[in-house]
Amino acid sequence: MANASAYRGTGFDFSNYARNSFLEKKGVPLPKATSTGTTIVGCIFKDGVVLGADTRATEGDIVADKNCEKIHYITENIRCCGAGTAADTEFTTAMISSNMELHSLSTGRIPRVVTAMTMLKQYLFRYQGHVGAALVLGGVDSTGSHLFTIAPHGSADKLPYVTMGSGSLAAMAVFESGWKPNMDRQEALNLVVAAVSAGIFNDLGSGSNVDTCVITKDHTEMLRNYRKPNERVQKENTYKFRRGTTAWTKEKIRELVVDETVVPLPHPVSAGGDAMDTS
Amino acid sequence: MQVDIQHLKKGEVNLGTSIMAVQFDGGVVIGADSRTTMGSYIANRVTDKLTHIHDRIYCCRSGSAADTQAIADIVHYYSQMYNQQYGERPSVHSVATLFQRMCYGNKDQLSAGIIVAGWDSEVGPSVYNIPLGGGLFRQPWAIGGSGSTYVYGYCDATYRDGWGRDETVNFVKNTLALAMSRDGSSGGVIRMCVITKDGVERLFVPGNELPKFWEGKEVIGNVSKAEVLPDPMAIEV
Amino acid sequence: MTSIGTGYDLSASTYSPDGRIFQVEYANKAVENSGTAIGIRVGDGVVLGVEKLVQSKLLVPGANRRIQAIDRHIGMATAGLLADGRYLANRARDESLSYRDTYRSPPTLSAVADRLSLYVQAYTLYSSVRPFGASSILGAVDKTGPALLVVEPSGVFYGYKGAAIGKGQQLAKTELEKLKFDELTAREAVIEAARIIHVVHEDAAKDKDFELEISWICSESNFRHVQVPSDLLKEAEEKARAALEEFAPE
Repeated sequence: MANASAYRGTGFDFSNYARNSFLEKKGVPLPKATSTGTTIVGCIFKDGVVLGADTRATEGDIVADKNCEKIHYITENIRCCGAGTAADTEFTTAMISSNMELHSLSTGRIPRVVTAMTMLKQYLFRYQGHVGAALVLGGVDSTGSHLFTIAPHGSADKLPYVTMGSGSLAAMAVFESGWKPNMDRQEALNLVVAAVSAGIFNDLGSGSNVDTCVITKDHTEMLRNYRKPNERVQKENTYKFRRGTTAWTKEKIRELVVDETVVPLPHPVSAGGDAMDTS
Repeated sequence: MQVDIQHLKKGEVNLGTSIMAVQFDGGVVIGADSRTTMGSYIANRVTDKLTHIHDRIYCCRSGSAADTQAIADIVHYYSQMYNQQYGERPSVHSVATLFQRMCYGNKDQLSAGIIVAGWDSEVGPSVYNIPLGGGLFRQPWAIGGSGSTYVYGYCDATYRDGWGRDETVNFVKNTLALAMSRDGSSGGVIRMCVITKDGVERLFVPGNELPKFWEGKEVIGNVSKAEVLPDPMAIEV
Repeated sequence: MTSIGTGYDLSASTYSPDGRIFQVEYANKAVENSGTAIGIRVGDGVVLGVEKLVQSKLLVPGANRRIQAIDRHIGMATAGLLADGRYLANRARDESLSYRDTYRSPPTLSAVADRLSLYVQAYTLYSSVRPFGASSILGAVDKTGPALLVVEPSGVFYGYKGAAIGKGQQLAKTELEKLKFDELTAREAVIEAARIIHVVHEDAAKDKDFELEISWICSESNFRHVQVPSDLLKEAEEKARAALEEFAPE
């Protein structure tokens, strides 16, 4: 490496490409992105929208976070559930939230759900599916209650009840059998809990708790951990070792706290009084 | 260059579809099924594939949902700009040309088969077909999507010049019902629009009221059992 | 023009204190020094006519045409600096083509004039350029019917039934005002155009040679912009000369 330049250029570095593909061929897997193998749902009711999500985040077959938040803030009257690559849902919703705030500041109006939907779908379409965010967007604005799904490639659907993520099939089964038009708040909330629970209990990628969010004309209520069906219970036995279980041969006790005394030096006396010492 | 019809990006939402547009004396009738799929899962069973572009111009979308929605949004914007700039509605031909430019210019990136139809003051009703490669063809009737392959023969044998509105609506309804019954990626309900000089009328056929054709009969035995009607599966949004 | 000589006329990017842009007004003067061009819009078509002053007897007849084709259905007659007129025609062709590329259909005249006028107007904004020393009469039969528009050096454009620009525009306008545009046929309009061009030439530049250029867009030309047939041009010129004998402007 004697001739290697100290200069590092900008841009992508492909120098590890050959090594990585060799390792991959040898059976060493690539590091995985944290993905929210997820159940997220949304449902329109008489006065607004209810969103729901589980709280499990996974890395491959490991549970990375047992109580993460998947209902993201867009604006006060709009929220968005994210499934797919956790980093992508997190940053995509944060960026759109920022742009929505600027938009509402510049128009002086309460922003609309279609605006957020259009911004999200155009952003996702631009990245041709490489930004892996599958979203459920819901909110209430001057034109009424709205609920959308947005797939990673940038297609949007508008429906009265929606599900997304790996648990979407289980959750949709609950909606298809239990949904009816013009539900009241508690009915809708119960249905959403049932749908997310179906994902939590029947889908490996989903688990832990149920987060919900109820958005109505002039109030948004974020119900974090609205249901906790998987709380850790008291262990039947205690597995602590009894004191003195292990034998020893030698005992030595050291003082770990050290006492120190700081002695200030006497003030130096110089001829020039306050003058700077330049010696 | 070859365009692979079956190719969709991994995990992409697909409009495996039956769509149709037919011209008649006073206007056009367009129609579509309502199924949107992701692989084997029906992501939306009441999809509206008849997309508003301008006052008297609609398009029927087939192929990738993301691609066709993006194109339709852009052409919708261009059409509004045209209206503002030239002080008149764009013709169906002009709008179809805008679609064709997007589809041809980005043919390597897109999977979109679009039928544009509507009414304008220059030529009256017209139907334009823009298949996958980005060609542009004016046709008296056009069918598209995966379900269309099953019903070309039916259309060739059935279509006649000089139909009125009701005959045309029936033709579209029957054709789509036949396509939906044979194509696994099509189904749900039938949505139709009648576009004339005076306006756009939306028609809706629920999944349990689709036209029925010969569906076979019991071969073994002659067990008589009461006909069980399916529950309505269509929900109007 | 009290402000002349105070430096406000040196650049198109500077207003005079009373709110004028002298460079644009000078461009209009360049138009007024040129041979007259007229346009007549009648029920079934449009006729363009130009009095092309011939600088030398050595010039080939029919050279340096001042009526130019913009599109199959659009013609343009210019007055002013010949080179500027040709440059504008080129630009108009590009605009017409770009419209065709985008919408696959022939543009309306107002669509072309709209874009051309934006271009002309841009030349009145900067100190590094001079405004066009040419006005153009655009004529066409498009999907809206016959259309006649004049784009001026300032960038404004107006629609007309009869239009005249150039040296003889005052007299030409007086003559045009006598016409009954709604009753005239394109064929009759050609005769009138030839007569008016001859009249204004007789009035303003009698001693100079000139060539009469006339083109039309009408059903007889299949709604294409073409020169009028030579027999019709000949007939029109003969009638024009005959009329000149009787004509005596007050």
